[in-house]
Order: sequence, then structure tokens, then C-alpha cells
Amino acid sequence: MTAAKLIRAIFFIEILKGLALTFKTMFTPAVTRRYPKVKRPVQPGFRGLHALAKDENGKMKCVGCGLCGAYCPSKCIYIYTSDGKDHKKVVDRYEIEVLRCIYCGFCVEACPFGAITLSEHYEYSDYSREPFYMTKDKLLSNWDKHFAGEKGKRYFRDFWRPKSEDFIGYEGQAMFKGIKNEK
Amino acid sequence: MYIDLMLNIGMILLKIAVVIGVALLHVAYATYWERKVIGHMQVRLGPIEVGPHGLLQPIADGVKLFFKEDIIPANADKPLFYIAPVIFFVSTMTALSVLPFFEGFVIADINIGLLFLFAMSSLGAYGIIISGWSSNSKYAFLGGLRSASQVISYEIAMGMSLVGVMIMAGSLNLSDIVKAQQQYPTGMFAVPQFLGFFIFTVSALAETNRLPFDLPEAESELVAGYFTEYSGFRFALFFLGEYTGMLVMSSISAICFLGGWTVPQFITGWFPFLLQLPAWFWVLVFLAKVYAFMFFYYWVRATLPRYRYDQLMSIGWKMLIPLALLNIVVTAMVKILL
Repeated sequence: MTAAKLIRAIFFIEILKGLALTFKTMFTPAVTRRYPKVKRPVQPGFRGLHALAKDENGKMKCVGCGLCGAYCPSKCIYIYTSDGKDHKKVVDRYEIEVLRCIYCGFCVEACPFGAITLSEHYEYSDYSREPFYMTKDKLLSNWDKHFAGEKGKRYFRDFWRPKSEDFIGYEGQAMFKGIKNEK
Repeated sequence: MYIDLMLNIGMILLKIAVVIGVALLHVAYATYWERKVIGHMQVRLGPIEVGPHGLLQPIADGVKLFFKEDIIPANADKPLFYIAPVIFFVSTMTALSVLPFFEGFVIADINIGLLFLFAMSSLGAYGIIISGWSSNSKYAFLGGLRSASQVISYEIAMGMSLVGVMIMAGSLNLSDIVKAQQQYPTGMFAVPQFLGFFIFTVSALAETNRLPFDLPEAESELVAGYFTEYSGFRFALFFLGEYTGMLVMSSISAICFLGGWTVPQFITGWFPFLLQLPAWFWVLVFLAKVYAFMFFYYWVRATLPRYRYDQLMSIGWKMLIPLALLNIVVTAMVKILL
């Protein structure tokens, strides 16, 4: 054992170093975020509670095609439609079992009309299961609550509008109606 | 004659009530302080929600423990299971009775004060062993066994580290030990008895089952060690006993090595007005020393990992006891020669 090692062993240099470090750390500000009082800002594109989008006239955008329900990996979207006036399709019930949802966002991608969206809202814990069964009315009121104002509009535009709106085909390509051929 | 006696008894009872009340309050807030210190050392906040800065946290904890369900294992040895926390708690609380907090304030000013403290801390080990045995659980039993061997091993080193103090003070009475330190220019035995102070500090950590020697209650191996099966108020008794034990150990350290309630003479030489202050003022000096030592406990806990069991034993038997013996020999030689 060399002299330096002996001195280090006798005076516990390593332990003293550790003590100095913890003492210094004691005076640095804590990193704790006091959650209910101080909320963490949600990241862009956060997938939270579902909402059914409304158009400018306040009418539901959903047409009841059922693509979201067909696409859903956990099969938690239930859609019931019926024959309405002039053989128009009427969406009677649009229901999501939120407790089974895995928040993959496939329903949003599947929707050709940007009717189903995921909001930034994530604080919806409750004491029973019923509040987590989202009916059409609840989903529509979610839209009013969480996509209200300029902020909600921007959030919807940036993340949840139909991807087909961005699609530009080459000249002469066969297209569905309503998709712009050129920008 | 009778009135004198009654007054005396009343006075002693009053002192006991004051000491127990203050000590329990200190213990409650020692837990708060520990959580705060360790929290900040780990870049956390510690308790902060209950009351301003979390100051009501110990009270909330106490109320919670009091109303918790008291579960007793079906196969436990019931009488021993009931008595174990009481033994532990009573023995640590009894140790408070011989501590001089300031000039003239001590419940029992006995001549064997230091020996009495050792006796009480050994008695506390019985509570731990009995609780480990009577719980009828592997974790508790292992914790109890570990605690027994650890306390016995480190009691030797601790007792011998204080022999140097006894030699220098020429007394076992704690008040006399404090007064003897006034005769030295540094005003505290920690300087001439630095080796004894070091040994005492290390073995005090082991004696109170604190990190880095908390093997009897090693969470990662033994759940909670000897009090795994205890819940509710019985658990609280163990908890209180443990923190009172810390308070007692810090007080012994303050009294025997740091000069108790006194300050070194050169300081009173610089500031002569200090001598005019009333006797109770010096309890603040005493408490400052106790708190410094308790802060050291927390600091070590936040810094060091747990030792392995064989390391613990080899530190105790191969390092601390020979060092303590050396300290006794050197101190005695110096005492004879001077």
C-alpha cells in the first residue's frame, strides 16, 4: 500500500468527497414539480381525451362511415346508424369505451373527414366506470370544451385534420372528388 | 418534612413531564427535518403540502398511525409481541432521565450516568430481539438476530471509546464530565479525544441502526427488519424509540465530546456578557450541538450506501475495538505522566 493510498484510507477521502457532494446538492433548487398546482405543458400532438369535431355551423362532422371503428386495434368504438330523411345516413350513437382505448390515434388517421380528434386534456380520473363511457353528446361537448378558441383551432389544424387535405396528386392522376389536384 | 418531600416529588414529576414532552416533540420534528434534509440532498422538496412548508406533516403522520388498524400475526407469540415495543421505547426514554440539558437541569443526577446510558441502550436491544423472535416471521427474525449481534459488537467499541473521556474527566457523572471539559483550553474533549470521538461517532451510527449500518432494517433485504409485522401504534412506538435513541446518542456525543451546554472558555473571554445570561439560555447551546450531530446522521444517510454484513463486523472488531484500546492506553499514559 502506497502512502497516498494509506492516507486516503485513514482519512476516508472518498467518503468525505461524497459528503461534500451531498452537502452542495442540498443548496441546489429542487427539481420537483408540484403537480396539481404546477402543471407540465403538454407536448405538441399529445393524444388525450377524445372529442367529436364540429364544423363551422356547429354540426357534427362525422358521417358514420365506421372506418374509425373498423381500424381501432382495441375495438372500442361503437357506431350505430339508421336511415334518415331522403335516405341520408344518420348517426344515432357514437360511443367510445375510453378505458379500453390505447390512444394510438389510428381512428384519427382513418377518418376521411377529420371528425374524431384527440384533445390535450388528460385529467379525467373518476370514481366509477360510467364517466369513462363516452356517448355522442359527451364527445361533442368535449369538442366545445377542449377545442374552443384560437388555441384549439390551431391544435386541430396542426395535428388532427384529415391527412388527405395535404395530398397533391400528379397531373392526370385519377382522384376522389374534393381533393385538390394542384396547390 | 412531608411538604418538602411532596414538593420534591412534584418538582421531579414536572421535570419528567417537561423532558418527555419536549423530547417527543423533538422526535416528531426530527422525522420532518430528516425528510427535508434528505429530500433536498436528493434534489427533491421533502414534505411540503401539509401546512406551511409541510410543518404539520409529523402531526398528520402521528394521527394516521394512531388510527391505523393494529394487526397481530396469528402465529405470533402474543405476550412477547405486546411487550417488545414497550421495552424498546421505555429503555430509550429512560436514558433521557440522566442527561443534563443545562446547569442543574437533570432528572436524576446519578454518579453512574454514563454506565446507566450504556445499560439502557443494551436493554433496548432486548426489545428488538424479542420483537424479531415473537413476530414469527423470517424477515423479523433475521432483523432481530442482526441487530443483536450488531449492537453487542458496537457496544464494546462505544463503551471503550468513552473510557478515554472517563479517564480525562475522572467521573461517570455527566454533569461532572461537562464541567471537566471547562478546564481544558479547547473546552471540549473532541480535540484531545479525537480518536475516541471518531470511534464513538461510527459506533453511534451502528448502535442506533442507522445507515450505513442499518442492516437490522435493511429495506431491500428484510422488508422492514425486526418490526416488519408491527403496525399502527406498536410500529409508532418502535419509530419513536428509534428517533429518541438518535436524540440520546447525539446528546451523549454533545455532553461527552462537545462540552455539553458550555462554550469554550476563550469565547466567554471574548464576550464576557455571555456569563451574565440565565442558566436556561445554555440549553440552546446544548441543542445546537445535538442538532449538529443529528444533522450529521441525516447527512451520512443521504450519502453512504449500506455496508455488507461481514464488512460491518470486521469494521467493528478489527478496526474500532483495537483503535479504542489504543486510545485508552494513550490517554491513560498521558494522564499518568502529566
